[in-house]
Amino acid sequence: MEKNEILAKVQTIFRDVLDNEEIVLTDETTANDIEEWDSLSHIQLIVAIEKAFGVKFTSLEIKELGDVGDMCQCIERKLRK
Amino acid sequence: MTIQELAKQSSGISCQYTITPEIYYSFQRVSNDFNPLHTDKYFAESMGFPDRVMYGNILNAFISHFVGMLLPTRSVIIQTQEIDFHKPVFMNDLITLDSSIDTISEAANAIIYKLKFYRENMGGGKKQLVAKGHVQIGILNDKQV
Repeated sequence: MEKNEILAKVQTIFRDVLDNEEIVLTDETTANDIEEWDSLSHIQLIVAIEKAFGVKFTSLEIKELGDVGDMCQCIERKLRK
Repeated sequence: MTIQELAKQSSGISCQYTITPEIYYSFQRVSNDFNPLHTDKYFAESMGFPDRVMYGNILNAFISHFVGMLLPTRSVIIQTQEIDFHKPVFMNDLITLDSSIDTISEAANAIIYKLKFYRENMGGGKKQLVAKGHVQIGILNDKQV
């Protein structure tokens, strides 16, 4: 799966979980840019992304994610394995 | 307790509950819901039900018991909960809550349990699905407790 496809799928998940169809993600998007992206919805996002892509993150990987671009790269790495 | 340990020790938990008058009136008092469907037998009958329909959210209270009292750790919190009601429940119904693990996320420190509620007092050993849903729980760390 190409990186832009991953980003598009992640964006769909964000819109669904955060119930906001206007969310547009870029590699640089962080929790500071989206009002609904709080600590609880972060958990929901992680669970939904793991389910949708069939991958599992570690706690360390989640801690090290700085923005959506990092998240997509992490997904891409896992899908390649 | 880690999320994997919790998952291992909480697989397939089941519990039975009876919707007693005490539970019914307690929920009525807490919710302040006196809709005649729940309080007036004749109104309920006029709507096609055999008796007063019990509050569906009593089943949500049973989920609270499942999470707070049946899981093998006290350091647990409900993050999301959803329930679909398929059949009405009535006074003195014997309800079985069956749980199974749907998703484990170590990264989110969370487990999603699938839940099914069955009415047991159907006669002939039959049971009927009355509601199903899921609850997502997280394990609290020391700082949160």
